[in-house]
Amino acid sequence: MPDAAGLGDVAAADMGVTPGLGAGGGPGAARPGRETFRLFVRNKAAVVGVLMLAGVVFMTVAGPSLYDQDPKDIVARPLIGPGELTEARLGTDYLGRDVLAGVINGGGTSLTVAAMAAAMVLVIGIGIGAVAGYYGGWADSALMRFTEFFQVLPALLFAMVVVALFEPSMWTIAFAIGVVAWPGIARITRAEFLRLKNLEFVRAARAVGATDWRIIRKVVFPNALPPLIVSATLIMGTAILFEAGLAFLGLGDPNTTSWGLMIGLNRGNFLTAWWSVTFPGLAIFFTVLSFSLIGDGLQDAYNPKLRGR
Amino acid sequence: MKKWRLLVAVLAVFALVAAACASDDDDDGAAPATTAAPADDMDDGDDHDEDDDGDGMADAHGPCNDGANVGGTLIIGSTQVPRHLNGTVQSGYATAVPGTQLNASPLLYDDEYNPMPYLAESWEVADDGLSVTLHLVQDAVFHDGMPITSADVAFSILTAQAHHPFKPMFAPVTGVDTPDEHTAVINLSQPHPAILLAMSPGLLPVIPKHIFDDGQELPTHPRNTEDFVGSGPFRLVEYEAGTIIRMERFDDFFIEGAPCLDEIVMQIIPDATNIVLGLENGEIDLSVTLGPSANVLRLMENENVTVSSDGHEAIGQIQWLEMNVDDPALSDKRVRQAIAYAIDRDFMIDALDQGLTIPATSGIVTASPFHDSTVNPYDRDVDQAKALLAEAGYGDGDLSLTIDYIPPTQVIYAEYVVQALEDVGINVELSVSPDFPTWAGRIAGRDYQMTINNVWNWGDPVIGVHRSYLSDNIDQGIWTNNTGYSNAEVDRILAEAGQELDAGRRAALYAEFQQIVSDEVPIYYLTTPQFWQAYNPHVQDPPTRTIWGMMSPMHEVWLDR
Repeated sequence: MPDAAGLGDVAAADMGVTPGLGAGGGPGAARPGRETFRLFVRNKAAVVGVLMLAGVVFMTVAGPSLYDQDPKDIVARPLIGPGELTEARLGTDYLGRDVLAGVINGGGTSLTVAAMAAAMVLVIGIGIGAVAGYYGGWADSALMRFTEFFQVLPALLFAMVVVALFEPSMWTIAFAIGVVAWPGIARITRAEFLRLKNLEFVRAARAVGATDWRIIRKVVFPNALPPLIVSATLIMGTAILFEAGLAFLGLGDPNTTSWGLMIGLNRGNFLTAWWSVTFPGLAIFFTVLSFSLIGDGLQDAYNPKLRGR
Repeated sequence: MKKWRLLVAVLAVFALVAAACASDDDDDGAAPATTAAPADDMDDGDDHDEDDDGDGMADAHGPCNDGANVGGTLIIGSTQVPRHLNGTVQSGYATAVPGTQLNASPLLYDDEYNPMPYLAESWEVADDGLSVTLHLVQDAVFHDGMPITSADVAFSILTAQAHHPFKPMFAPVTGVDTPDEHTAVINLSQPHPAILLAMSPGLLPVIPKHIFDDGQELPTHPRNTEDFVGSGPFRLVEYEAGTIIRMERFDDFFIEGAPCLDEIVMQIIPDATNIVLGLENGEIDLSVTLGPSANVLRLMENENVTVSSDGHEAIGQIQWLEMNVDDPALSDKRVRQAIAYAIDRDFMIDALDQGLTIPATSGIVTASPFHDSTVNPYDRDVDQAKALLAEAGYGDGDLSLTIDYIPPTQVIYAEYVVQALEDVGINVELSVSPDFPTWAGRIAGRDYQMTINNVWNWGDPVIGVHRSYLSDNIDQGIWTNNTGYSNAEVDRILAEAGQELDAGRRAALYAEFQQIVSDEVPIYYLTTPQFWQAYNPHVQDPPTRTIWGMMSPMHEVWLDR
């Protein structure tokens, strides 16, 4: 047994991060990681996306200490436009709170909720997809029917039901998004596993006696990763939009400032105070766009057909 | 546990729906916002929502200018969906606006709380206050031609007594005698000064006994909407739940020459913004459900639309902060007083309501003859608040509380309270209810510390005020005594005031009541939202000269085109 396990390791190490079909691809592809990076940076839009996301993350992480203003404090008269006040450069909302402080601090909630939701989506989606794809048979049928069940649910509506049942808070919102958004990932994972499980290197691992768990974990999964990484990136964007959507419909947690909540609460004043809605809206726009662009770049980078070009 | 079961049930329903549709639609955000909509027609005690209401009444000279002003269609826009049209078993604005067109009541009210003849051409209250005699007009008929008699009045009163959510209106009624077809004698177990106000159009529509007295349960009676037979100036010709209520002039109405309009069409439009647009482009003539302040301000700037808040004084809406007095911290009067001193009512009016509300300083609205203007208004005083908290043993940051609010519209007031209390060193967290029933359940079950609430006076304190303070009315549902406040002296004063026929002595009793409650602050009163009504200038004599606003018959409204 130790022997067999050792051989399995070799198989996995060999195939490692290199996508199965693209192994040893083009002439200059000695280091797959570097090649992937090269392809990624060749996509200018993706680089812009990375820079945008870096900006958003910087603003979210460092912003609150650089701009020391509690987003919940009433700092001035309500509904004063941007540029008119030094204490609220982007204007004030319906309660007299600083919109700039809200935009800076709101990102933390939005990104955290999105990250938690994406993590949950990945865990559920990959778990179900991997088992279904790898084992096939009745397990596949059962799990795919289960997946389809969630796939046909109107996602936002279902998320609203979940949040309404369990009280709006960051956790329930992330949970709700996670519960509705995983079927796509499950299906991609299953498709990848179906494709990979009968390829030679997997068969080789099996032949030397590696356990299913080991094969799934060390052999198939690493090779199924690229499309999943791309999807996960896009899921982040979707989750941010979902969080905003729920908050817009009044199902946010008003104890924690978030971009979606700002839009939802201020939308009644949109015609008279555009700034209270527009700036958090722009923040969401740029964040989601950055995730889309990065996802796009990753797709290019992982696409074996682009290698060597 | 229960929630999980509910979730499973919801999933099962989704599964059925999904199976039925058999499509495999991925997740786009196309879900309509239907599920989480606030339960607008939930009201059984009061109205809880943001909607404003209007006015009603008209001129003293000949009906419809002796026929010269007859004709035309009045289009009313409303966001409110009535459950049905029978106001003897259903309170609330949604039913009362069409209900008062379709059914007449014994009395009308002018804008100074004076009763005026309507179905009753005269009435007298016995000296001992234990009976009220109504003399009905002679030739009044229902829409099906049957005469309106004292038996119908008696039936209506007993129906309302049995089924109307406002129990105190007719609680003391022991029976109604009908010595002849046009005389009804209401017998009372105790003097009951509120009885005349309870004869108002919105509170006691006279319904036909020959239709409804068939053994079926009144609240679910099919004739509450179908083949509707009423006693009012207009008759129902089209009713589509949640869409349209079309009412035509009733030619045999008992007031000769009235109504002036040929037709009233109520269009139910869920989105107040669309009503505002309709008013602006002339598609809607009259509305009081205008939505947020911004909409009202926008209409005020439009010279083709008249905006007024006159005429709804009796409705007496109060937005307030109520506190659960059984909570360990909030059971201390000084803490409640400190909270009251911490809040800046004027800021709420100027900034949050943009000047469209007026201050409320006691549990009886300013417009009521029983309002006591000498109570402590608790104008903002941060030092005083801090001193009171220190006295109660709470230093800066020692006290943490939660605040509930009616979702979604009241969140801004709750958010403000959080900020205001932070200034005096109290940490407050918002307690979020996803929808109206959740909130109502929490408050009625007293699973809260503080909440913003919105409760209406409904004309007489007996109807709309007593319920929030009587110790035998604690936790009887939402809009009862939800603070847990219990004071034997207050109970005694209210019991006495509810039976006092002399207006002066009654006012003195209510003043005493307001002083005690103001000192003990189980409730801190914030504002009286106004019922802003907007109408196009060709609408003449809109219901602004009454105390009941649009919950009044519009038989004297006419169109000057």
